[in-house]
Amino acid sequence: MTTNEQNAKSLVAKGVCKAYGKKQVLQNLDLTLEPGRIYGLIGRNGAGKTTLLGILTAQNTLDAGSVSYGGAPVWENPAALADICFSRELSPNLLMGQNTLKVRDYLRAARVYYPHWDEAYAKRLIDEFGLDPKAKIYKLSKGMLSMVTIVLALASRAPLTILDEPVAGLDVVARERFYQLLLEDQMATGRSFVVSTHIIEEAAAVFEEVVLLDEGHIIEKCPTDELISQFCCVSGHEDAINALCQKLGVAPLEAQALGRQKAVTLRVSGERAGQAAVEQGLDLDVSPLSLQKVFVALCGHEHPAQAPERKGA
Amino acid sequence: MTLNDQASIYLQIARMLEDGVLRGIYPEEEQAPSTNELARAYSINPATAAKGINLLVDKGVLYKKRGIGMFVAAGAAGAIRAERREAFYEKYVTALVREGRSLGLTAGEMAEMVARAAKGGTHHDHE
Repeated sequence: MTTNEQNAKSLVAKGVCKAYGKKQVLQNLDLTLEPGRIYGLIGRNGAGKTTLLGILTAQNTLDAGSVSYGGAPVWENPAALADICFSRELSPNLLMGQNTLKVRDYLRAARVYYPHWDEAYAKRLIDEFGLDPKAKIYKLSKGMLSMVTIVLALASRAPLTILDEPVAGLDVVARERFYQLLLEDQMATGRSFVVSTHIIEEAAAVFEEVVLLDEGHIIEKCPTDELISQFCCVSGHEDAINALCQKLGVAPLEAQALGRQKAVTLRVSGERAGQAAVEQGLDLDVSPLSLQKVFVALCGHEHPAQAPERKGA
Repeated sequence: MTLNDQASIYLQIARMLEDGVLRGIYPEEEQAPSTNELARAYSINPATAAKGINLLVDKGVLYKKRGIGMFVAAGAAGAIRAERREAFYEKYVTALVREGRSLGLTAGEMAEMVARAAKGGTHHDHE
């Protein structure tokens, strides 16, 4: 039942391209997901997250490139797909109307589909969340819908389990509980998880690595700590800031000015910036950035003054 | 338990364990929390917790007993205290002088304040 680390496999995507009509969603994307890790997938609305997750799990087609698991292609490969669970966001409405399926039946289908399924674990989670197995999906609250996707993901016990926005409908208490459950299960089984989320800060510590997706490209993939440590925020007199940037040979990713007071985000470690400031005799404050701020600095292309057209969700 | 969002989490974990050693919460030659216990207590990735523990193993504060877990090394508390005294000047004194200088305080005035604080004086006259 538990995933054995010895036969754990990696999922490898190479050169993945995907377009919907004229819109190129994913562009020549490479990604390797290793066993035994919790990955956070972060990107803005329309960055291509759900499309990517669908392709990784062979639920979407791709235009070019390949996805393999343990060296074998995932497409129409039951052995590989038995190990990979994609718990999608659950909608109260289907194309043809309301989703009248009962929670019980939705999970029963998963039990058939995922051979590692752990029914006792599913029951425990259902009890803990206070879900009614007989409730119809269209009658569930947003929070309950999220919980069903979490039960499916965790109880699938799939060695690679992907959750798309699992905490979107949850309140802060339930979100914290979800991350505890995720960590508990990951430690007990050594499974890998990919979690996409917009609620970045509280999840940052749970992720071993973050994958930043921006306009169809993976712009960063590295341990959360390492990514954060590459950035800092410097504030002080604008002349001092400009002198520091010149000395370091970097341009600010973001800048805010309040009169002559300026604060900039730099892609420089706080140590290096602080040292340079001291060496140059510049009176500046250097502070670390949160993952959320790093994300905004890297992916927040829209500037209020020149907001381009908004992308769809 | 919560950690602050800013500093690297593994550094905070290491610091917190060191604080525990200094305060005698984790006495020398006794078992320290495991990676999984830390991950559970702080809701952090076990790899991050392990990074914090490994930092202390590299520094000789913790050592591994095979098959049992991590233990606090003999002399760890003294070593941590010595290291923190070394860092005290850089971390606190220079920052204090910098802030004092930007407020126009002289070295003498700052020294006087430090002396007053060291005597355990109250600080309701800081306006």
